Parts: sequence; C-alpha cells; structure tokens
Amino acid sequence: MSNDSESTNLPDPFETMNSLWETNLKNWKSMRDTSLDSWSKMMIDTANSDEYSHTTGQWLDTYLTLSQPFRRIIDLMMTQVLTGLNMPLRTDVTSLAERLTNIETRLDDQDAKLDDILGALKAVSLPKSTAPKPTNNNSAKAKGAR
Amino acid sequence: MSASSSPMNSAALQDELKRIEENTRTLVRVSTSRAKVAQTPKQVIWTFNKAKLYRYIPVVAAEQRHKVPLFLVFALMNKPYILDLRPGNSFIEYMVKQGYDVYLLDWGVPGIEDKDLKFDDYVLDYLPRAIRKIKAVSGSDEFTMLGWCIGAILSTIYAALRPDDGLKNLILLTAPLDFTDKKAGGFVRWVNDEAFDPDKIVSAFGNVPGEMIDYGAKALKPVENYIGSYLTLWDNLDNPRIVESWHAMNTWVTDLIPMAGATYAQLIKELYRENRLIQGNMLIRGERVDLSRIRANLLNVIALGDHISPPCQSESIMAKVSSEDQLLLKVKGGHIGMMAGSGALKFTWPHIDSWLAERSE
Repeated sequence: MSNDSESTNLPDPFETMNSLWETNLKNWKSMRDTSLDSWSKMMIDTANSDEYSHTTGQWLDTYLTLSQPFRRIIDLMMTQVLTGLNMPLRTDVTSLAERLTNIETRLDDQDAKLDDILGALKAVSLPKSTAPKPTNNNSAKAKGAR
Repeated sequence: MSASSSPMNSAALQDELKRIEENTRTLVRVSTSRAKVAQTPKQVIWTFNKAKLYRYIPVVAAEQRHKVPLFLVFALMNKPYILDLRPGNSFIEYMVKQGYDVYLLDWGVPGIEDKDLKFDDYVLDYLPRAIRKIKAVSGSDEFTMLGWCIGAILSTIYAALRPDDGLKNLILLTAPLDFTDKKAGGFVRWVNDEAFDPDKIVSAFGNVPGEMIDYGAKALKPVENYIGSYLTLWDNLDNPRIVESWHAMNTWVTDLIPMAGATYAQLIKELYRENRLIQGNMLIRGERVDLSRIRANLLNVIALGDHISPPCQSESIMAKVSSEDQLLLKVKGGHIGMMAGSGALKFTWPHIDSWLAERSE
C-alpha cells in the first residue's frame, strides 16, 4: 500500500513530456507567426517595389523573346505534319468555331424575335382569357378588376 | 512507478496517434480532391459561345419575391462559383433566400478561337443578349446588375453605354476603374513597367494562361498565399468547419481559367496604363464610354483590405456618374474575403440586401 502511494507521488514522465511539448509548441508557434509576419511584410514591400516590377518585367520579356523562335519552329513543323497527314490545322478549327459562333448569334437573334412575338401574342390574348367578363370593352376597367 | 499511470497514458498516446492519423487523412483529402461547390439549385436558361446564364430556383413564393431581378456578372479570369461557394457560405443562396430572382452569367472557359474577344464583345454582344433573356424569363423590364472586379468594369461600361436599357440598380464590388495612382498596388506598378509588354504575352500564348494570372495575384502577398494559407489549414486540422471552408476556397483558387488575349491587352493598355475609362475617352466599338450617362442607383462596395484593387481605384467613380441615389460602402476584408470569407455573412451581404431590397420593388 505504502509503496503504491509513493509511486503515485512520483512525477509522471508522460505528463511532464506532454506539458513540455505543449509549452514548446506554443512558443514555437508564436515565434513562427511573428517571423512569418515580418517576412510577409518584407515580401509585400519587395513585390510592390519598382525594382521587382522591372526585374520580373525584364525576366518575362527575355523569356518571351528567347522562346519565340522555338515556338515558331514548332508551329511550322506542326503545320507541315498536320497538312501532310491531311488533318485540320489550328486555324481550321478556329475558323470552324467562329462560324459556329456566327450561327449561334443568328439563332439568338431569332430567339429574341420569337420572344417578342410571343410576348405580343400574350399581351393580346391575356386580357380576354383572364378578365372576369367585362361589361363593356374598356380594357383599363378589365385590368383594374383583375 | 508507472503501474497506475501507464495504462492511462498509453490510452492517451493511442488517442494522440489516432488524431495524427486522422489529421493526415484530412490533409491528404483536402489537398488532393475538389470540394463540392456551387450547390444552390439552378437551371441554364441561355447559352452563347462558351457563356451560360443560370437562373437560381426561387425558394420564396412569387408574390413575396422582389420584382426586380438580380443579375450577377463575375470577372473573366476565375470561375463565378465563388458567389455560390458552399451551403451556408454562398452569396447566391443568401440572396435567393431573401427573395431575389437571381441570375448568374458564367463566361465559360475561352478557347484559342476566342483570343480576339475584347471588352467590346463582352459588353455589346454577351451582356445585352443575357439581359434580354433575363427580361423575357423574369417578365420584368427593369433589372439590377452586380459586377465584381473585372465584372464591375464590364457592368460600368454597359451602364454607361446603355443607360436606358432598364438598368435600375448598379452594384459594383471591388471595381478597378481608376488607375490615376501609378503606385497603388503591385499590379499597377508591374504592368506600367516599360519592360512589360502585354502584346508579346498575347502573341506568345494567344489567351493569357490562368497560371500566369494566378501567379500575379498570389505574388502580391506571397507569404500568405504560398505558406500562410497551408499553415492555417495545418493549425486547424481538428476543426471541421475551418477545414471544409479551406477546402472549398482552395478548390476555387486552383480552378484556373485563361483570359482572352485581346481583352487582357485592352485591360493593360487602355485601363491600367492609359486610364481611359475614368478619363472618359475609352471607345467601345467606336462609342465613347461616358460615365456621366450612368443614372442607375449606385452601390459601390469597397474592401478596406483589398490589395488587388486598392480602394483608390474604386472610389472616384462616385463623382463621375449622374446617379442621384448613390452610396459608397466600405467593408472589412480583402478582394475575395469581402464576399466569400467568414465575415461576409455579417459585414457585406446584409448591407447589400438592405440597400437593394427597397430598390427592387
């Protein structure tokens, strides 16, 4: 019995480890957040500087200039290969898509006209069918009764 | 020594291991899968080229609904479902519940055949056709147009060019319209540098890749976007509410679409560099965009923490329009967070609803 009670009074290594771990984690997190904050501010300032704008602009320009001849060669080769295989080129697909869009435009115009016609037809037929038998032909009165 | 404590702590250790295992699973799931987004019931009522017009199924009885339909126009370079991210965090769901007849224009994903599309085409071909359909379906001659970011540019141009088309209310969210201050924000600085050539980009790619636009947006706050966001997730893996919210937002952020090349070149040259819209010398198919022709009731919502469209780019339009009924509303949050963040339900949506409700009868 006495041995048992003695043993319970000894510090639990798991608890000690846990509390140590928790404290360290808390400290580490707060340190991490502080350093991230200052790092973030520094990076935002950098990204908003004229030097950064100029460097990225120049880098992009160099990349586009250097890659242009390669892109041209690839385009030329692709055109030759597809033509040789009797396959449609990008320009063919593009012009087909443009024609489809033109057709769609016309269809949408027709749809608009149809909506107008249906709207006009509804306006003509609605007062007759829904009005509760007006006593005279005064449409304003019939509308008011509705 | 540990005869009495060991079993308990071994159980605690097991629990801890289980928790770590579950967290790892969650981490893998949310970083490798797509969240279920855009769940508010809707139907497609019109299509044109890649664009689709959705009408959201009303949940309020017709006689209690607001008479003026609400037309949402999102930006061209991201998917519009940010407005309907997930149940409980959806502006569209909220507005449908408030009794609005809501329509959303999804511009779709431009193909290489769309590389020559300009603001002119979006404003004078797509918008009028979509609006005609909204009028036909809703039976209302008047409508409200809400534009967000580049959608706000398109809405503003439309409102100026077609002021008599039934536009009753114009709502602009984080609208980049005035580029007078060439030092306001990273974007303005980058695109105004002499080494930056938008024509070269368009000539190389046709349409500007989504990844390139995404890099630009993220590079404005690199630490937050590339590290901070993941650390937030890591710190909150035990919190399902934050995890699911992160998952949905990450799904949207990584769902990139290209931007039509000609539109991009026009945006950079005519707006960011030459500031034509606010100066009143922008031409859309030869027609001058005169902001003083805007007479619709105007609500201009600005995010105080917006690093993409800084407030100074959105404020000056108030003095340029002829709208007698106008309100400039400044809310907490960033460019996206203002409308889709956790505070939107408290700080943004109710203000938009209360302003719009009394102007929608």
